[in-house]
Amino acid sequence: MEGAYDEIISDNPFFMELRNEYTNLFQHCITQSWIICVPRIGSLNTRVFTIEDFGAHILVPSEELPETHYSTLTEKQVTVNNKVITLELTKGLPLQSHILFEETFYTEDLIKYKVWCIESSLEPTATTSDNVVTKDCLVSINDCIDLLWTQAAGRQVLDQIELNVQIFLKKHPTLPIAIGTLKEAISELYTQCLQTTLQNRRLREKSKASKHILDNIKLAVESYMQHLLFDTLFKSICTSCAYEDSHLNKKIRNMSDIQLRDLEIKKELYHAVPKAKQILSKIDSYNTSLEKNLCLKQALNAVNKIDNSNNVIILTADDLLPVFVFLLIKSGLPTWYSQLTYMKEFRFSGVGRGDGDESSFLITTLEAVIEHIQSGALAGPPDPESHYYESNLTEENLQDNKQRKSSLTESIATSETNCREETLEYVFELIKANHTELVQDILERNQKHLKSIQQNEKSILKIALEETMNNNDLDDEDSNSDTEIYQKLCHPLCNCKKCWFKISKNLLKTSPTTSSRDSHGLTPLHVACIHGKAAIVEILLDMGADVNATDLNECIPLHYAASRGHQNALLLLLHSGANINYPNVDKNTPLHLAVNNGHLNCVKALIYFAEHGRKKMRINCVNEIGNTPLHLASKWGYEGIARLLIENGAEPTLQNKNNKSAFDYAHNLRILHVLKSSTPTLFEYIHITSSDIKKLNCKSDNSEIFKLGKINFKNRDISNNASKAVENLKRIDRVLQAITYGDIKLACFYLNIDYETNTEDRLASKGPLCHPLCECQFCKKTQPQIADFDINFADTNGFTALHYAARFGMEDLCKILLNNKANVNCVNKKGQNPLHLAAIYNKSNVISLLLDNGANINSIDSAGSTALHNSSDMGNIGATKVLLNYNPDLSLLDGTEKSALDVAKKKVHLTIIDLIEKYASKLDKNK
Amino acid sequence: MSTARNGTHNFKVVLLGEGSVGKTSLLLRYVEDKFNERHTSTLQATFLNKKINLNDKRINLAIWDTAGQEKFHALGPIYYRNSNGAILVYDITEADSFVKVKNWVKELRRMLGSDIVLIIAGNKIDLEHEQAVPTEEAESFSKSVGAQHYYTSAKVNYGIEELFLVLAQLMLQKFEQGSQTNHEASRASQVLIVDDDEPAHRSCCFNSSRM
Repeated sequence: MEGAYDEIISDNPFFMELRNEYTNLFQHCITQSWIICVPRIGSLNTRVFTIEDFGAHILVPSEELPETHYSTLTEKQVTVNNKVITLELTKGLPLQSHILFEETFYTEDLIKYKVWCIESSLEPTATTSDNVVTKDCLVSINDCIDLLWTQAAGRQVLDQIELNVQIFLKKHPTLPIAIGTLKEAISELYTQCLQTTLQNRRLREKSKASKHILDNIKLAVESYMQHLLFDTLFKSICTSCAYEDSHLNKKIRNMSDIQLRDLEIKKELYHAVPKAKQILSKIDSYNTSLEKNLCLKQALNAVNKIDNSNNVIILTADDLLPVFVFLLIKSGLPTWYSQLTYMKEFRFSGVGRGDGDESSFLITTLEAVIEHIQSGALAGPPDPESHYYESNLTEENLQDNKQRKSSLTESIATSETNCREETLEYVFELIKANHTELVQDILERNQKHLKSIQQNEKSILKIALEETMNNNDLDDEDSNSDTEIYQKLCHPLCNCKKCWFKISKNLLKTSPTTSSRDSHGLTPLHVACIHGKAAIVEILLDMGADVNATDLNECIPLHYAASRGHQNALLLLLHSGANINYPNVDKNTPLHLAVNNGHLNCVKALIYFAEHGRKKMRINCVNEIGNTPLHLASKWGYEGIARLLIENGAEPTLQNKNNKSAFDYAHNLRILHVLKSSTPTLFEYIHITSSDIKKLNCKSDNSEIFKLGKINFKNRDISNNASKAVENLKRIDRVLQAITYGDIKLACFYLNIDYETNTEDRLASKGPLCHPLCECQFCKKTQPQIADFDINFADTNGFTALHYAARFGMEDLCKILLNNKANVNCVNKKGQNPLHLAAIYNKSNVISLLLDNGANINSIDSAGSTALHNSSDMGNIGATKVLLNYNPDLSLLDGTEKSALDVAKKKVHLTIIDLIEKYASKLDKNK
Repeated sequence: MSTARNGTHNFKVVLLGEGSVGKTSLLLRYVEDKFNERHTSTLQATFLNKKINLNDKRINLAIWDTAGQEKFHALGPIYYRNSNGAILVYDITEADSFVKVKNWVKELRRMLGSDIVLIIAGNKIDLEHEQAVPTEEAESFSKSVGAQHYYTSAKVNYGIEELFLVLAQLMLQKFEQGSQTNHEASRASQVLIVDDDEPAHRSCCFNSSRM
């Protein structure tokens, strides 16, 4: 891993002295292949070594256990286990020392000897230096911060990096989208950060003393920078990788049914997969490439730890790659390509270390896996029917399968020559191989047979079987079921012609027809749709196959055609009257599946058919977990599909059962842009990461919101009341937009507030009216006309004008609104009052204004967060300072059981942590 | 890629070859030589590090194992780009695996030119009586493409250390030549090294190992 300890042994004073001053001993070690232990540079204070010192560091392998047991030349016993040397002492605890690395030396005559670089001296009496031992490996962002903090004895370095990043972000309000330029810009920032870091005298001296420390400092600086930049940086990477990501997602979605055995993964590895999957899917929760790398490594190591019968199996590359492919497909992460780009392109500290280290190996593996999935080399998704066939393999089937893999048509050919029975399975295979006429033949023939049997038409049967038959009275017993037929035989096992005919006739009834199903409930029409054989679909439909037949998952053929992207088959089904809104077992409609798998052509076909056929397709219908098709398009980054859905009335603000809207799933700016285009007259979407929203206890001081809600959901009962509400809704949208543009005057105009009086004649407006009911000119002016429009009116998401004024930090407007009796504690649909928004957007002046006007400092939103939680979460220093002046309750926990301090710690906002802790200690003192 | 940062050369080596020719056992045998498998810090045999010191020249070998299945063949370039050396392993009892090696060699020479040091390893020499690839053929082919040919056996630990040692020496030579002809041997400019045949020629005469 990066940051592993390394030093040049030949420069180590201990080793140099041994080699130069004690040549005889040294040569003897070499010829005997004894192991020389060298304490790491800086671990020994003294520069004077005695012969005993060296003797204690030369290990002679024991006779019996040369791998683990050694004795030193000073006759001490030493054991080595898991890279730790343990020296048994007569008194006290055994002495332990880590082997940092080993190096194999070759002399000019190619005689080899081994050197172990160890952490500390093997001599108990040796005075060990108090030179701070830095952590061998930086593994998390906290380690990095810790290193920079302790090594520089203070947080000034961290502050400087923070400052650099802030200046950078100010200079580049929008980061470049092209990866090349983006990389250049960030690389420049990194150099700058590193330079300012090394201006710190302590760090400079320490890094001069040891390369290892310098490497670690570089890594720490890089990680801290990435940590600060991540949100902005990753968004632009996602945007520039939008195409690759959506392409990859489409491939992955279409393979999502894949099973371990399809990838030829060894059975011994099966049980480790869930854990590895769990680890790997957390990769997007890490901000730094350091941690992402570690996550990859842990995922792989989880696969390694195999205990079938407590045997550790060493994972080879042959096993590793397929498992990794499987993990990636199943991880459900929509941004793999961006993750790869981030890890690959934005590592600067490793430059010079070369391409050969472990992290680059891990990244390369990830790249190879993505490449493999993208190349389509993977045999597509297994067919649903294959689960069934492969689960009961017989010898014959096995052979069959092999052939099927090598070449489909070939297998068909052999099965024909084998005169295989005309089972349903056989028909399915014919469909798969697109043998149109054969399928038609068989099914038609069977259908005729069946009909004839049912109608007791003897003629056809007779023609077919005349030669073998001479008995007429058999036909009377036709319509009998399986159980009965055996009773009619001479003997259950009888093989005479008569009996054989009876049985074969019965078999005919079980021969496949258009309506027969396999054990998964699949009809031939399903199978034809799965494989997209439009010609066969047409024939089957002509033969009267049931277009809305459902299988075990309640999928109709339309589902399969949509999910596999077979547009022709899909259109044929639609024209034959397939139910376009049919939900399957997960409540997914065909539209859901087509969107999920990224089949733009099918989405188009569905939408246009619905439009022209005057069919009503519910474009916003939700599946089991509340996702609309737009959620899926947004999550997987299908820009074209999202646009199409939006154009056809999809609503991006609908929330699924996790309270996420399509906006929340959009991970790049392109998609966000498409989504926003649907709501040009609505508010600018405010991104709030709320996880668990409890049921709102709506304050019903304005009942109109309720009415409005009902109206929206019940699809517009056109009554006077409703149309007025719609009118008001339009108005509030206009108000909010005006606020967004910063046009206070316009906002006031829409709100029926006289801007002039409220600013200039503020005193007057507060003055007493002539009479409570007076309507003279003067009084009229000061009394805002809010008869028909309530200042507290909210839009569909519960935002009032005051919310917006607070969110954009407009102090003046806030004052005006508050003067006009705006409700300071009104909440939106996420339970946030204006104070929350001001805290999120760091508008400290507004915060104090709101608090002075009676806002409740400890109010919580529906995620359980107080304003202080929000400001800590966002790292807003100004807002936090102001909030702390108003005595917030620090003990309040949010929905995830975290206090504001915990939130700040989790996000590593150092200043915030500082502020809160200071405030807490002050409180304690006062008590 | 090789870099002589603070006097240490970092060399990347890839192991290529068909599945089941014993790439992984070869690698394990080499690195395990000192630490048995319980001592390795990592349990995976896909990436291993080995530090060696040749006459005070430090070399850090990063050895990458690759998947041998045919379906992953297309991923080769992702793995072998920027590598300094490649070990092409075949099974002496399997003629097909040698054909595979030939394909790899062609591909490597086409993609990386003479920048990469190639060693062809005939593994499983302990099964000499079942040898299916004639020694003459293997050696003449190796010579024709400027590669070294070695026989190894991971089972009885034969020839493996020697193979890696020679590889390290050759990579070092190549690197030093590279920095002579090209003072600022950057990654991009290394591709442009002109003397195509000379190092390959020398490497043939350098060490010709036989059973």
